[in-house]
Amino acid sequence: MRFNRNKINMMKKTIITTLVIGMMTVFAANAQKGMDKFMVQVDGLGCPFCAYGLEKKFKEFKGIKDVKIDIETGDFSFAYPAEKELTMAAVEQQVEKAGYTPITSKIERANGKIEESAAAALSENNTGTVTKNLMVAGNCGMCEARISKAAKSVAGVSEISWDKGNKMMKVSFDAGTTSLSEIEMAIAKAGHDTKNHTAEIGTYDGLPACCHYERIAK
Amino acid sequence: MKYIYSMLGTVLLLASCQEKEALPTAWTFSRTIQLDGVNPIGIVEMDGKLWLSDGDQNRLVQIDKEGRIEQTIDSLDRPMHLDAQGATLFVPQYGMDNIATITDGSLGVLSLKDSLDAPAGFSVFKNEKAIADFYNNRILYHNGTDWISFGKEGRAGGEFYYPTDVQITDSLIWVADAYNNRIQVFDKNGSFVKMMGQDQKMNAATGIFVSETEVFVSDFENDRVLVFDMDGILKQEISKNIEKATDMLLVDTELYVINYRNGQLNIFELAEVDPQANEQVANKKE
Repeated sequence: MRFNRNKINMMKKTIITTLVIGMMTVFAANAQKGMDKFMVQVDGLGCPFCAYGLEKKFKEFKGIKDVKIDIETGDFSFAYPAEKELTMAAVEQQVEKAGYTPITSKIERANGKIEESAAAALSENNTGTVTKNLMVAGNCGMCEARISKAAKSVAGVSEISWDKGNKMMKVSFDAGTTSLSEIEMAIAKAGHDTKNHTAEIGTYDGLPACCHYERIAK
Repeated sequence: MKYIYSMLGTVLLLASCQEKEALPTAWTFSRTIQLDGVNPIGIVEMDGKLWLSDGDQNRLVQIDKEGRIEQTIDSLDRPMHLDAQGATLFVPQYGMDNIATITDGSLGVLSLKDSLDAPAGFSVFKNEKAIADFYNNRILYHNGTDWISFGKEGRAGGEFYYPTDVQITDSLIWVADAYNNRIQVFDKNGSFVKMMGQDQKMNAATGIFVSETEVFVSDFENDRVLVFDMDGILKQEISKNIEKATDMLLVDTELYVINYRNGQLNIFELAEVDPQANEQVANKKE
């Protein structure tokens, strides 16, 4: 009989503990319920000073929570009150304001809706694809992201890579849709000198500090 | 005959007395201490113990000689290049725009009339203090009585492009002018004295340490530490095991270099080197 009473007491404790844990889970879920989750991939966050600067810039968004930043992968995420209806465009604008280039963005809205954006869609028309190598000036991972984004913004470009060590870009594109010169112009417009096109001085000056490469003498 | 013996004896005596020609010395890799889950940005010694700021984890850690964490101070906001005096740690909080002071575990904040924007480096020397104010592109310097501010955004001598670290010595203030890729030196009135390393193609001069005879700067993106003499003449480029270095510290005869990326503390010692062996002097990465 005594054994049974102990057993009952233990069962009571177990039930109470389970209830408490359950209630805490519900509260936590409700706390998260009113928050939109933002995930932005920002390539080239290799320097902690720059990365923490991006985080600092987002502190301007009052109410921001759960800011996480992975410098190695460039993954930047945070939660924001759903009632403030923060848009993808506003987030990407803030990333650019901090001097970075957003590559992809994703929002998981509190109501379950998912919004996604990719910086550039690859050309579907690969007819007559050619691959060229070209020198493009730049310094760092952020430069790489900007150069890639500029090149991919040109219709017909299917693949792009840039080596910050030797400054060489390898680009594949549909020769019937675009030309190497058009791609170079797009890159120069983004602030990077190429072998044949020079970036405007104002655009160059506007690049983040770490991107101020040694200019290509013409 | 006696004269000849005497001459020979003198020559032999002189030859035996002649000092052995000293070989040049260079910082040579000694060993690596692997840190567990720490991405260090600043390093300082206090009471014989090493403290590291771990910006990614918003904390300071105190490690033993094997790199094991013995103490942790949490709840900081992006602690950067820290310094120490007596029993007090001075920690610039990049995300909080202030300088935290930690004495015997008790947290305070350095009182300042001016506002900071992302302080990245702090130096304390006798009754003097200096702050590298990153986004304001200036140095705040306290001479023991008053605070002065010098520098503005720019490329010219005396101007900064995101200063990340600072060190006060007896008569000068040394600044890692990170994205101007150089070191700048000022007197204690804030007047520009000289710059160094501007011709070394550095890519983000993120950290500085000044000893009595040498100036060390971490060239973050190029994975190397450059060693200059006090006049700015490059003496050595250290690159062995250096990956995204952020700070240096001289402890007795050892040079400690911290790698932000892979969480390593690499230790170098001065050793005589064969001047012919350029690779050894350059200490190139294997």
